[in-house]
Amino acid sequence: MAVLWGTMWCMVALSVLYLLVVVKGPSIWDRLLAINLIAVKVTIIIILFASIYESAFLLDAAIIYTLSGFIGTIFIALFFSKKEKKQKQDEKKEGKSIWRVY
Amino acid sequence: MIYAILVLWIFLAAIIIPERRGIRIIIYFAIFSLVTALSFFLLGSPDVAMAEAAISTFSTIFFVICFEKHFRLKADGEGDPEKKEVSKAAAAKKYVLPLLLIVPLFALFIFFRPGPEVSTYLKDLYITRFAQDVGGVNAVTSIYLAYRVYDTLFEALVLVIAIVAVSHMSAFKEMTVPDGEHSDIERDGLAVFTIRIIAPILLLFGVYLVMNGHISPGGGFQGGVAVAAFFICRYMIYNIYDMPVKKIIRLEEVLFMTAVAIAVFGVFLGAGTFVPLEYLRLYQESYLILMNILIGLKVACACIVLFYRFVAIERR
Amino acid sequence: MASILEIAGSVLIAAGAILMVLGTFGLLKFKRFYPRILISSKIDTVGMLTLLLGLVVRHGFSFFSAKIVLIIVILLILNPLVAHILSRSAYMSGE
Repeated sequence: MAVLWGTMWCMVALSVLYLLVVVKGPSIWDRLLAINLIAVKVTIIIILFASIYESAFLLDAAIIYTLSGFIGTIFIALFFSKKEKKQKQDEKKEGKSIWRVY
Repeated sequence: MIYAILVLWIFLAAIIIPERRGIRIIIYFAIFSLVTALSFFLLGSPDVAMAEAAISTFSTIFFVICFEKHFRLKADGEGDPEKKEVSKAAAAKKYVLPLLLIVPLFALFIFFRPGPEVSTYLKDLYITRFAQDVGGVNAVTSIYLAYRVYDTLFEALVLVIAIVAVSHMSAFKEMTVPDGEHSDIERDGLAVFTIRIIAPILLLFGVYLVMNGHISPGGGFQGGVAVAAFFICRYMIYNIYDMPVKKIIRLEEVLFMTAVAIAVFGVFLGAGTFVPLEYLRLYQESYLILMNILIGLKVACACIVLFYRFVAIERR
Repeated sequence: MASILEIAGSVLIAAGAILMVLGTFGLLKFKRFYPRILISSKIDTVGMLTLLLGLVVRHGFSFFSAKIVLIIVILLILNPLVAHILSRSAYMSGE
C-alpha cells in the first residue's frame, strides 16, 4: 500500500514539474506536449486511487479521461498546423514577416 | 493528497488571472480543468469528475475556435509586444490581485472547520429512502432524476437556450454550409487510421455510460458528451462539413419536450416524490434508464450542434 | 504477509515511477522541442506501461485488471499518435 501512495505523490510532483514546462516552454508545441503528459499523470493517479480502494467502477473515470483527453490535443495540433501553413503563404505573398502571439 | 491537489488548483488559478496572451490562457485553462476533475474525483464524486473531464476537451476546442482571430496580429512597423520592455513594478502589479485572492482562501482553509452540530437530516433521508423510492443503486442518479428532476430539466434548458441564442443572434444568417465542403483542419493519414480504431470505442463507452447510469458512476450528461466527442472524431476523419444541423436542433427540442412530459407525467405516477408506491417498483428502474437515454441524446445533439455551428460558420 | 504477486507488482510499479522521474529529468534538461518529444515517449509509453503492468500483476486475474488492460491498450494506441501529430505539426509550422 505504501508503494501506491508513494507513487501517487510522485505523480503529483511530476505534474508540478510539467507545469514548469507549460509556463516556460518556448513554443506552443512544448505546451501541448506538457498538457498530454499531465493528462496521463492524472489518469495514473485515478487508477492508483481506484486500486487502493479496490473498486472497479472508479476506473470508468480513468477510461473516459484517456478517451476524451487526446481529442483536444490532436484537434488543436491539426488546427494550428493548417493555420501556420496559411500564414507562411501569406508571408511569402506579402514579402514581410508576420509575428505570432503564442 | 487532496490538500496538495487543492493547493495546486489555487496556484493554477493564480497564474491564469494575470495572463493576457491568447493561446496560453486556453492551455492553462485546460490544465486547470484537468486538476479540477482530479480534485472532484478525490473528494468522492466520480460522476462530476467524469462530466468535467468530458466537458474540458469540448471547452478547449471551443475556446481555440472562438478566439482564433485574436491569436494572430499583423506586424505593422511595431515590434513584438511580448518583448516590450516592462518595468519591474508594473510586472509585479499584475500579481497583486491573485495574491490578494489567495490569502483569504488560505485563511478559510486553515480556520474554517464545520462544527459537529451540522444537520444531516436530508442526507439521512435520501440515503435511507432512495432505494425504495426510486430504485437503482447509484444514489446520485436517484437524486438528480427523481427528487430533483425539475432542477435537472432546467439545467438541460440552459443548453437549449444557448443553441437558440447562438443560432439567432449570430451575424451569419445561414444555418448550414454546403455539403462536402472541405474543412479547416489538416488531414493526416496516420491520425485518420488511428482515430478510426478509437472512435467506435468512444461511442460504445458513451452508450455504456448512458445505459449504466443508474448502477455505476456516469449518466446522461457524461455519456451524451462522450457520444458528441465521437462526432468530433468523425469530423477529424472525414474532414468535411456534412451535419444536418437544422434537423438535429429539431430533434433536440423534441427530446427535451419528451423529457419534460415524462417528468410531469411521473408526478401523477409517484416517481419524483417522497410517496413510495409499492406497485410502481417494476417501472422505477426503467424510468431511470429512459430519462438517462433522453437526457444523453439531448446533450449529444446540443454539443454536436454547438461544435458544428462554431467550427463551420461562426469562425469564417 | 505479502504474497509473491504483490511484491512483484510493487517492484514493477516502483520501476515505472523511477523511469518516469528519469524521463522528466531529461525533459527539463533539454531546451528544444524535438529532443523533448523523444524523451516524452519514454515517459508516457515505457513508464506508464511498466507501472500499469505492475498494477495488473498486483491484482491478479480479475475484472479490475481486465479494465486496466483496456486502459493500457487505449493508451498504447493513443500516446504514440499524439507524439506523431505534435512533431508533424511542429515540423509543418517550421519550429
